[in-house]
Amino acid sequence: MKKLMSWLMLVVTVSVALLGVFAQPTYAATAVTDDSLARVKEKGTLVMGTSPDYPPYEFLVNRGGKERVVGMDVDIAKKIAKDLGVKLVIKQMDFDSLLVALETNKVDMVISGMSPTAARKKSIDFSKVYYKGGQSIIINKADKGIYKNKNSFQNKAVGAQTGSIQYNLGKNQIKGSTVKGLAKISDLILALKSHKVEGVIMEEPSAQAYVDNDPDLAMINGKFSLSSGENNTAIGFQKGSTSLVNAVNKSVDEINQKNLTKSYLKHAGTFMKTNTKNTSMWHYAGYFVKGVEYTLLITVVSVFFGILLGILFALMRLSKMKLIHGLGVAYIEFVRGTPLMIQVMFVYFGIGLFINIPALIAGIIAVSLNSAAYVAEIIRGGINSVAKGQTEAARSLGLSQQQTFVSVVFPQALKNIWPALGNEFVSLIKESSIVSIIGVTDLIYQLKAVQTATYKGVIPIIVAMIIYFVLTFSLSKVLNHYERKMKHDA
Amino acid sequence: MPEMIAVENINKKFGDTEVLKDLNGKVEKGQVICVIGPSGGGKSTFLRCLNLLEKPTSGKISFEGTELTALNESQINQLREKMGMVFQSFNLFSNMTVVENVKLAPIKVKKMANDDAQKLAVKLLDQVGLADKADQYPASLSGGQQQRVAIARALAMNPDVMLFDEPTSALDPEMVGEVLKVMQDLANQGMTMVVVTHEMGFAKNVADEVWFMDGGVFAEKGTPDQIFEHPQNERTQDFLAKILEA
Ligand SMILES: Nc1ncnc2c1ncn2[C@@H]1O[C@H](COP(=O)(O)OP(=O)(O)OP(=O)(O)O)[C@@H](O)[C@H]1O
Ligand SMILES: [Mg+2]
Repeated sequence: MKKLMSWLMLVVTVSVALLGVFAQPTYAATAVTDDSLARVKEKGTLVMGTSPDYPPYEFLVNRGGKERVVGMDVDIAKKIAKDLGVKLVIKQMDFDSLLVALETNKVDMVISGMSPTAARKKSIDFSKVYYKGGQSIIINKADKGIYKNKNSFQNKAVGAQTGSIQYNLGKNQIKGSTVKGLAKISDLILALKSHKVEGVIMEEPSAQAYVDNDPDLAMINGKFSLSSGENNTAIGFQKGSTSLVNAVNKSVDEINQKNLTKSYLKHAGTFMKTNTKNTSMWHYAGYFVKGVEYTLLITVVSVFFGILLGILFALMRLSKMKLIHGLGVAYIEFVRGTPLMIQVMFVYFGIGLFINIPALIAGIIAVSLNSAAYVAEIIRGGINSVAKGQTEAARSLGLSQQQTFVSVVFPQALKNIWPALGNEFVSLIKESSIVSIIGVTDLIYQLKAVQTATYKGVIPIIVAMIIYFVLTFSLSKVLNHYERKMKHDA
Repeated sequence: MPEMIAVENINKKFGDTEVLKDLNGKVEKGQVICVIGPSGGGKSTFLRCLNLLEKPTSGKISFEGTELTALNESQINQLREKMGMVFQSFNLFSNMTVVENVKLAPIKVKKMANDDAQKLAVKLLDQVGLADKADQYPASLSGGQQQRVAIARALAMNPDVMLFDEPTSALDPEMVGEVLKVMQDLANQGMTMVVVTHEMGFAKNVADEVWFMDGGVFAEKGTPDQIFEHPQNERTQDFLAKILEA
């Protein structure tokens, strides 16, 4: 038994070490003294967090199969980085995740068409305002006669980006309306076209971009009553980064004095034109290929660690030692009792407070740890399904418990559980899509990127659906092949 | 000469049920002991205590002068190498071919080279008449063939004693003979054997001693002649009468 345990400990140590290789230590989350500016200068990079689905502020373009974030906010960030004498690094994620990313040091600043509201000011600091725009509502062109301004939407459904100003405007200023919150603007437009919502509240420049690029859409002035925070746009920082904010404000002052946003918007417009010229899915094949690569990478690595850890947790749960058994049960039940989505966010943002884990690695860790709990239960069932006589025969020959497990019990358990394990892998391909919320560019993430880039909602969904099906179907076929190979009896 | 196996006052309880009660017995080198008795009498439990697949609740078992009950895990493993065991349900490893079944323990436990293990396995399979089945999986063999492979597998560790737990009870009648024949050959070669069996013919012809077990005790021990021709104990007489009727 001791030998077995030390062997298991080795597996854990190696797994943890392998995962750890990718992680680097980070600075303490909140320094008492403000060294925000010094820190940026020292590392030589300025990390900007943004949700690039908000043209013309920020959006993705495809250049020679490679995608890139562009837009007014990116030009602003470039100027700031240049003024500070550091390199700009852009991190993409959902709008929802931006504030947490600041708090957990994932990014140095957030430029994402974000308004400095009183509520946000409680948790983060803002630069001076760099852009003032009104709030518009996008509608279907066919409905142009019906909707005039926000008051036309009484008792109707409207959409807005989750966690955004627009969401609150809808909630608070349109009587009796239901506000549907979605993370991606592209999904909101889809919802509008299928009349799930009748209007989408958006900042004016963004609305303009969508209307310019889609002949079926129209925009109206929302006529919302806006406090100064709500139609303004500013740059967000971690609370207490006064030195960095002050430095950035110098750049913002210059932008305002020279009215640079005007030329930035024009620059963004040029991308949008080239963007819309080619909306064939072939043109975006590179997006999908990259998405498939990441989806497969996450799945394969997670399956590997999921099995290793799954064996470990299964053995822990089968252990006769009370403490180890209890830990095994606790882990398995806890992981199975909480959603993968929360686990992904916990690993990325929660653990990220102490160790700076890149999003991809965080996603892989979370999916592996999650899968391990399910695999553990499958393996436990498999081990229990091996007849007791097999173990007794092996032990009577002098094989140790560990040798018996490795040579006799596990291979037979594996054969018994192969179909169930196969199901787990297939569903992992699908479930790993949740990592897109922390900005991992898997297939789902790329699907949204293509939707944003092409202003087309449904076709990219169909393409992604077919790709997912091809992936899972071929995997099933391969697994069936091995299942047949393993059948010795009957 | 010390006995190969000596059992002193062993008891075994499963929860509150006392299955073995103060058993004593000695097995000498080269002896064949047949244990007979009614179902539920504790025969299997007794046999499984000998190689510690079951731990006796109290009492002492020694094997070749070593007291087993005081050993740790790895010492027990070493000891089990020298005690081959054959089960009623064969228990061949279903994930391995016949020859792999036989080779496994020599390679894993004795660290024998694969070539040597292969030669040994083929020799032993030949001895039990199954050299031609070497590369088949157990599931494709008949019960009698599987049990003969199981015997070869146990012999591959070159044990000093072989323990058999009703090796023919799960077999169709026409296959019983081939297995008993292999066991008889083993006995003739001088193998020390403890055999739990319902095959009275085998016990009569092959055993040096017959131990009759009932209710967790050895109710009577003696030569085959004493037990089968002149049983003293009432329970032995009852048991034999019932067997002969059937
Ligand atoms: N693991 C166990 N837990 C509880 N009781 C057990 C266990 N193993 C055996 N017993 C009980 O111990 C008693 C003796 O069982 P054992 O298998 O040794 O008898 P046996 O003489 O081999 O019988 P048979 O001829 O049917 O094989 C039986 O009453 C049985 O129910
Ligand atoms: Mg029995």
